Amino acid sequence: MRKIYYIVLSVVLTMSTASCDSWLDINTDPNKATEVDPDVLYNYAMMSWAANRCSGDLYFPLVWGGQTQSTGGSKGWGNVNVYDISPYSLGNTWKVFYASSGANLQQAIKIAESASPARPNVAAQCKINFAHLVYTATILHGDIPYSEGWNIAIDYPKFDTQKDILEGLIVLLDQAIAQIDVNSRLTMTKYDLAYGGDLDKWVRYANSLKFRIAMVMVDKDPSKTTMIANLLNANKMINSSAGDFKIPFEDAADKENPKFRYFKKYTNGVNIEFFANKLVVDPLNAKNDPRLPKYFDKGVSAATFIGIGANDEAVTGQTALVSSFVFRAKSPELFFSYQEQLFLEAEAYARGLGVAKDISKANQLYKQAMIAAMKYYEVTDADINKYVSENLSDLTTLSDPVREIHLQQWIDFMDRPLEAFTQWRRSGKEGFEVPELPIPRNASPAKLMRRWTYSPDEASANPNTPSVDVMTDKVWFDE
Amino acid sequence: MILACIIASVGLSVAQTTRVSGTILDDTGETVIGASVVAKGTTVGTVTDVDGNFSLNIPSDRKTLVISLIGMKTKEVAAGTNLRIVMENDSRLMDEVVVTAMGISRNEKSLGYSVSTLKADELLKARESNVINSLAGKVAGVRVTGASGTLGGSSKIIIRGANSLDGNNQPLFVIDGMPIDNGSQGSASNNVVAGSVDNGNRAGDINADDVESMTVLKGAAATALYGARAKNGAIIITTKKGTKGSKLSVEVNSSTRFDSVLRLPDFQNEYSQGTYGDYDLKYSNGWGAKIQGQKVTNFLGQETSLQAYEDNVKDFYETGKTYINSIALAGGSEQADYRIGLTALNQTGIIPNTEMNRYTFNANVGYNFSKKLTSRTIFSYNTTSTHGRPSQSSNNPNVLADVVNSLPRNLDIHTLKNNWRDAETGEQNGVSSDGKSNNPYWILKRNKFTASLERVVANEMLTYKPVEWITISNNLGIDFYNEKRRQVTSQGTFGDLKGSYQDDNIYNQVINNDFLVTLTRSLNSDLELKVIGGHNIYQRTAKRDILDAKDLTVDELYNPANAASVINTASSSRKRLMGIYGDAGLAYRNFLYLNVTGRNDWSSTLPKNNRSYFYSSVSSSFVFSELMENKKILSFGNVRASWANVGSDEDPYQLDFVYTPATTYYAQYSLSGSFPNSGLLGFSIPRVYPPENLKPQNQVSFEIGTNLKFLNNRIGVDFTYYYISTKDQIVSVDVPLSTGFFAKKVNIGEVRNKGIELALNLVPVRTRDFEWNIDLNYAKNKQTVEKLVAGNPDLIYNLASGWSGLQIQARKGEAFGMYGTIWERNEDGQIVIDETTGLRKIKKGQRIGDVAPKWTMGINNSFFYKGVSLSFLLDFRKGGLMYSGTVSSLRANGVAAETSANRGETFIDKGVILDASGNYVPNNIPVANMQDYWRHIANASNTEGSVFDASYVKLRELRVGYQLPKSWIRGLLLQNAEVALEGRNLWIINDHVPHIDPESSMFGVNSAGEGVEFNSVPTTKSLGVNIRLSF
Repeated sequence: MRKIYYIVLSVVLTMSTASCDSWLDINTDPNKATEVDPDVLYNYAMMSWAANRCSGDLYFPLVWGGQTQSTGGSKGWGNVNVYDISPYSLGNTWKVFYASSGANLQQAIKIAESASPARPNVAAQCKINFAHLVYTATILHGDIPYSEGWNIAIDYPKFDTQKDILEGLIVLLDQAIAQIDVNSRLTMTKYDLAYGGDLDKWVRYANSLKFRIAMVMVDKDPSKTTMIANLLNANKMINSSAGDFKIPFEDAADKENPKFRYFKKYTNGVNIEFFANKLVVDPLNAKNDPRLPKYFDKGVSAATFIGIGANDEAVTGQTALVSSFVFRAKSPELFFSYQEQLFLEAEAYARGLGVAKDISKANQLYKQAMIAAMKYYEVTDADINKYVSENLSDLTTLSDPVREIHLQQWIDFMDRPLEAFTQWRRSGKEGFEVPELPIPRNASPAKLMRRWTYSPDEASANPNTPSVDVMTDKVWFDE
Repeated sequence: MILACIIASVGLSVAQTTRVSGTILDDTGETVIGASVVAKGTTVGTVTDVDGNFSLNIPSDRKTLVISLIGMKTKEVAAGTNLRIVMENDSRLMDEVVVTAMGISRNEKSLGYSVSTLKADELLKARESNVINSLAGKVAGVRVTGASGTLGGSSKIIIRGANSLDGNNQPLFVIDGMPIDNGSQGSASNNVVAGSVDNGNRAGDINADDVESMTVLKGAAATALYGARAKNGAIIITTKKGTKGSKLSVEVNSSTRFDSVLRLPDFQNEYSQGTYGDYDLKYSNGWGAKIQGQKVTNFLGQETSLQAYEDNVKDFYETGKTYINSIALAGGSEQADYRIGLTALNQTGIIPNTEMNRYTFNANVGYNFSKKLTSRTIFSYNTTSTHGRPSQSSNNPNVLADVVNSLPRNLDIHTLKNNWRDAETGEQNGVSSDGKSNNPYWILKRNKFTASLERVVANEMLTYKPVEWITISNNLGIDFYNEKRRQVTSQGTFGDLKGSYQDDNIYNQVINNDFLVTLTRSLNSDLELKVIGGHNIYQRTAKRDILDAKDLTVDELYNPANAASVINTASSSRKRLMGIYGDAGLAYRNFLYLNVTGRNDWSSTLPKNNRSYFYSSVSSSFVFSELMENKKILSFGNVRASWANVGSDEDPYQLDFVYTPATTYYAQYSLSGSFPNSGLLGFSIPRVYPPENLKPQNQVSFEIGTNLKFLNNRIGVDFTYYYISTKDQIVSVDVPLSTGFFAKKVNIGEVRNKGIELALNLVPVRTRDFEWNIDLNYAKNKQTVEKLVAGNPDLIYNLASGWSGLQIQARKGEAFGMYGTIWERNEDGQIVIDETTGLRKIKKGQRIGDVAPKWTMGINNSFFYKGVSLSFLLDFRKGGLMYSGTVSSLRANGVAAETSANRGETFIDKGVILDASGNYVPNNIPVANMQDYWRHIANASNTEGSVFDASYVKLRELRVGYQLPKSWIRGLLLQNAEVALEGRNLWIINDHVPHIDPESSMFGVNSAGEGVEFNSVPTTKSLGVNIRLSF
């Protein structure tokens, strides 16, 4: 009997040790990659960011809250509190900044720099977009994690001040520009949907971003005039519409611009919820601006383009709606445009920021900006020429040319609510912004929105989140 | 037809029988009710009636009757008629044999830990489609939570408090030695029943009619041999089998039940749909004009007078019907035994057009090849199909509960039903004019969720006994299922006008093999030794393919070629585990027992250097009553103690930093775009940062307890104190998104659960005709998060995220708690009101309270009077919180009863405001209107407004049975016949949650989250009739 016991025991022991290791070596996921090129991470990051910018989380609440469009009240999107920014909007947008877009760009930079041979141009491309992304985040929320962000080793990233972040972004952009090696062939080209690997455009875009940051900072930090002057003098910023940084969408199912797909999915392809805001329509009407029929579809029984306040009741058949052209399937998401660059330059000369005040130079830039803006919206040359000859303002004759620049810049941002919101806040001290915004109907708090509060998820997970977190508080740059 | 054949064959078999009869008395001369009388070697038997009488026909070749009853000594007597049999009380009570880990049978009194066994009768009482629900309120320390009233919906079990931070708090289910899968594959990886159907958990496939007993092993000492998989306890199920050498017996069990909504919300019936007091078709809510019979245009464009339809929600729900019919055949020859069971469960739900059909076939066959070599083969197949199970929570146009609850009070549900689409165009007639609220009947008729599942659990046990004291056995089992789900959204559905569908194909397979050698030896006349050595192989494979097809061309054609966009997502995983284990048991006489176990596991999911881990347990029982001479008062008593240590591993593929090929990029309103974009692919880094050096997690538990029986079983007390500490848990710690990740996987923390369990059995009255039994079980658990990460005492761990900043978190020194936005309060605890709006001020990210109850209790009362039995089970829960998304919606939409007060009047919320000098003074700022007020109170972001105390008292089960007198059924070939009226979840006697059942959850069974409900399908109460016949 002993024998049987030993036999059994040895069988057990043999089974338990023999070839056990290889039998257990199966812990690699067959559906995932352990190594990838930075290009594919970049693409995921950019599409996540682009889609956020032109869909329900960011675009919808900002076009109404920022008052470049209108809900149409109960005849449109609904009679809502336009300042009631849903926690999904706040949370999902934050996820783009830090995870789906931000962290993938960071990883792409890491891979590009640690690859052998290194791909500094790819790293630079990713850094420039990363700087733009962080700029967007701080401009929307104010103080946010930056210096300790995107680092899993730090449990609770601290919130840096907006000033420090913006300064940091300037440094990061300088690094990226310095890193670009025009002779290297290891550039991201196919996956670079904006510039196709054209490094000169990337440098110009980076400089334009620095310029935009300086223009945002200059009222609070007048020393930024030096930087503005240097950038204007170096003349290495976006200098044509070919320099527009934009991400394309396609006219194919599930690949269209999300705004287009919203209507396709919910309202039979027809916009019935996004109305023209009178703050945009009225100045355009005043000058018979040819962008009107591009921006808007007239009410079916209306003779003119009629706009309404941000949450006012639309009049069926009368109030103009944002056009099917703006909401077309292939409308790209525009991150930085030539006209916006020109308006900023015009402003610098009109205000004498770092450069000598020069209204006629400003006027020239303003005119170019207006033309570029119209061209972007595919206004015909004939209509543009007619506008230029009949209605274009001459800044040299205006008592407040800066106001006109601010207003046109803001109108150009009708379909770019985040830029419009930023532009409005930096266009003047509190109470003197351009245009003068009313409190939207039924808005609560009954005070103008000046920032977005933090993601509730971040607030509950990160004890460093500032406890005072109010939508009507000003961020650092906002005077 | 089949039944007729069976009855015919029974008829044949009973042709060769002998009639036996008699009366059974106890040693005091009282008649004994309910004693079992069986012809030896067969399953032919009966139980004594209220007069202690029995009579039955037994096979003519059988000459001996076996008489048994718990608490009495089993007696064998020669068969005969008019027998008078006296049974003796059994002083050695507790000689009940229970099945423990690895299928090892042990005498209950010898166990060093507490076990609870539910027999078939308990499980069949008011039986449910999910057998797990039968445990509710019956076992101390076992908490069962159903998620919703969905047919075949999931049920979650927590034994002795949640120990895991990672959500894996479910016990292991073992059927006849085979550990089966109890997955609940939710819609998303985070296991929240969101935008999706509650597809149930797979333990729900177990067919109650085939179960002989269900033993709950609560502590780690009890389950140590299973190791990692059973760290949350185990439910050991033994299925019914036939008896060798017995004639065919047939059992028929039939239930018919009617289900209705347990609790409907209280609605206001004074205001119409609209906004700020104006009637407006655009809104499906209750914020419109006062209903005063005024003329308005309804959703069909007709002019009607405004009136309230008080029952519009009530009339939406139907009476669900459940039919459970089972038939089982059992018998055996000298070498073989068999049992074949067939069960059909056919159910329709409270939501129109929903149904579930489940058919189970079970076969259990034993065969003796020789005296030494025996075999048992168990095979179970079930096929389940469901139609129309509703979507819950949000982010899906097919979510029903919210649409139904927010139906305008001025809307006649019958008009809605009869006009669900335009007769001419076929287009949907929606509830609101803005095309955002679907007509629920459109969804019910055209957008049915369907699922079908086929599952096989099979195992083969071979046992070889070369000599009397050695047993060698091997149990090889496989459990696999394939589930196909399809969610269709037809063209013209608001929220997805182009139509879409999703096919979800799930395959899951578990293979398990246990090889066991058992040696039993008496070392001397007083000492017996039993040694078990075993080897285990376990492999789990899961595959899932999801196809999302959007933008359909032909209406209601669900084929990928009919879709403009098709996205395929594939995932698969496999994990392997190997273990060797041993168990040594010593018994000294029959009063002192000691057991030591040890097991070493090797897991494929851990880093190579940490892949092997060892753990052990010790348990002991001392039956002190065996040493006592006088057992008149204390008839039985033991003390028991155990200590155990269990290690556990991880899910597969968690160690590498890998890149996922992305199928989509996110956009709100279900507008995620698909890759490739412009011909390019996208990859993403993981959301969860992988661990650097993962260790197996470790659980130490200790328990001590006693079981005492007094006065010949009239009073029984079972008391247990336990302490469980789970350390180095492998969890995904939610990190602030600003780190770039959603979570990171680490070994962290220590969660302690301490508690007591008390079970009391009383027989206050026992007379000749009448008996009253009380069974009470009480459990109190205190959970503490002792630490999270060393060196980082402030770390917060998010166990699960609700929505809108509501989170279930673990923080040091606290139990798992609900965190979110609360109302700001001053030092005196008064709510602070905003001085401009008159609305309450808020504070984010604050602890609201515990999610788990402080204590739970179940009290079952049974009364027997002659052939009539009455039993009812009361279920108590004290403490814990619940966030109700349904209540939030009802209030925000202005349809809840309480929202009708103060409309159009000045309303000043109770609280304080800061005056100019910075002092708190009573609030005098009125709110702008009640719509804004309730939208603020019930705002999804303002968590506290929708949080309630989840305590309740419920009437869980009620059963009135009548055993037909033998004289009635004589001549019907019947051995036994019983009819019963039974009900389940009949009455919420007391609770604190308005509008809904306090027992609902949106978290799946594999989530650590609980206490959050989000537009769940209402739970049901059910009442019906049960008939049991045995031939």
